[in-house]
Amino acid sequence: MEYRDTAHSQRALAILIAVAAVLQVALAPQISILGGRINFMIILAGVVALMGNASQAVYVGFGAGLLYDLTSPVPVGLMTLILTAGSFLLVQMASAGTSGFSSTSLRFMGIFSVGVCMLNGIALFFMGSERDLLLSLGGHGLMSAVLTTVVSIPFLMLSGSMASSRSGFSAHGYGTRFKSASRGRGRRLR
Amino acid sequence: MPRSQGFSSLNNNRPSTGMRPFVVLMIISVLLLTFYLREGDTGIIHGVRGFVTTVTSPIRYAGSAVASPFNALGNIMGNLTASQETLEELRAENEQLTAQVAELSEAQETATRLEQLLGLQSTYNLQSTAARIIGDSGDAWSRTVQINKGTADGLSINMPVCNASGVIGQIIEVSTNTATVRLITDENSGVSAMVQATRAQGILQGQPDGTLRLEYVTTDSDVQEGDIIVTSGIGGVYPKGIPLGTVSSVTRDDNATYYTIVVTPASSGTENNEEVLVITSLTAEQTASDEEVAEANANPQGTARDASSDSGEADQSDGDSASGDGSDGGEESDENAGTIAEAGQGE
Repeated sequence: MEYRDTAHSQRALAILIAVAAVLQVALAPQISILGGRINFMIILAGVVALMGNASQAVYVGFGAGLLYDLTSPVPVGLMTLILTAGSFLLVQMASAGTSGFSSTSLRFMGIFSVGVCMLNGIALFFMGSERDLLLSLGGHGLMSAVLTTVVSIPFLMLSGSMASSRSGFSAHGYGTRFKSASRGRGRRLR
Repeated sequence: MPRSQGFSSLNNNRPSTGMRPFVVLMIISVLLLTFYLREGDTGIIHGVRGFVTTVTSPIRYAGSAVASPFNALGNIMGNLTASQETLEELRAENEQLTAQVAELSEAQETATRLEQLLGLQSTYNLQSTAARIIGDSGDAWSRTVQINKGTADGLSINMPVCNASGVIGQIIEVSTNTATVRLITDENSGVSAMVQATRAQGILQGQPDGTLRLEYVTTDSDVQEGDIIVTSGIGGVYPKGIPLGTVSSVTRDDNATYYTIVVTPASSGTENNEEVLVITSLTAEQTASDEEVAEANANPQGTARDASSDSGEADQSDGDSASGDGSDGGEESDENAGTIAEAGQGE
């Protein structure tokens, strides 16, 4: 049962990654609103981090950042670094229960988007790619973060449906990631 | 005791904190960034990026195709608001004709742009390749566009790109079948430029807010609102005499050495599916000769307007000297000359 569940969630994750990657390459360069652009890689990293699996979040954050760097005229490694660190921090802050669309998950996604965009803007400024810090942060950074957060809503919903289908099939339930540890500890005590 | 109930089992059940992959991937990220910043334009990471760009270009084309109807819709809406009076007259005359104009406006604009491009190509005798814009930059911080031609079509880094209005930018990255063009409005862009009427030299620099400024023009130069700014050809990248924009304001601060000159770009903007010309090579007449560079450095302030107007037009038509007789170049001008020559090299 768990085997089937894992395969199902892996497939759903693969679909999520593929959709986000295609949208990043095809759609993100076409849409610009008030100096901001949607960053589907931030959405992908954030949604996966909110699922609560730390290793998975770090790997996806790294991959998402790398794809962004390789498909945009930016220094390669910068967004990779930011999204890897950001995903790790987000997964530590958010518990596994924050997956799916809720006010809590949207708040986390908003904070994550703003943090990543601000860090990116600051880094670009200090690397000499941007000359106006205020415009880099307030114009491009903030607007991109807002757009990204808004567009993340359907992705959060999709991740929620993934999580619900996963718990529906599970024999153990995946309430929190701390459960399995206590279960292991209990077994040891016996 | 069965092995599964031992201490190792407890370790297996403990959820991963992700610390190990986090540390490893952070180190890889830092190394990637370091290598990218240190390697040249033809390094391994640039090569990988070129490969990824080539592989993903079909998806980019698809995105461009999907987005183009929305661009056309935007143009129609823009026309409706921008020229309301004209449209009302047309509607009064013939409503059917108005609808037809709206439907065909996109095709008409394309045809016009192509005609203008051909005109630009023949006027300046440009060795060029036509390309089409397939999308903007994927990030919000840079002003770049992607075009649908790459190394397979003979394009390479640093080639200038023009549209019907004039220069729009320069290729900064190229893959097999696509290239990235940094627009002149990008804040990292700098073009050796001059005032067409007086041949006053400067560097046309993009600004963070998307405007253009002509910098390093000394206050003893003659620059006025409405003056046309053209490429000077000093950097050896852009052919000389191609329009860049028009001076929209000239201000001079107290005790300032240089003017603050804001320039309106010749091109009102780039849009998806727009046709552009990539200048693949320059002829000897299109580049500034050593004498012209030396003359421009000696007299960066150019000539007086009246004296230069005739020679300026002659220069423009036959692509000859970039500077006239000019006035004396003092210490200040010599300093400026060094700056312009230096910046021109980095074009």
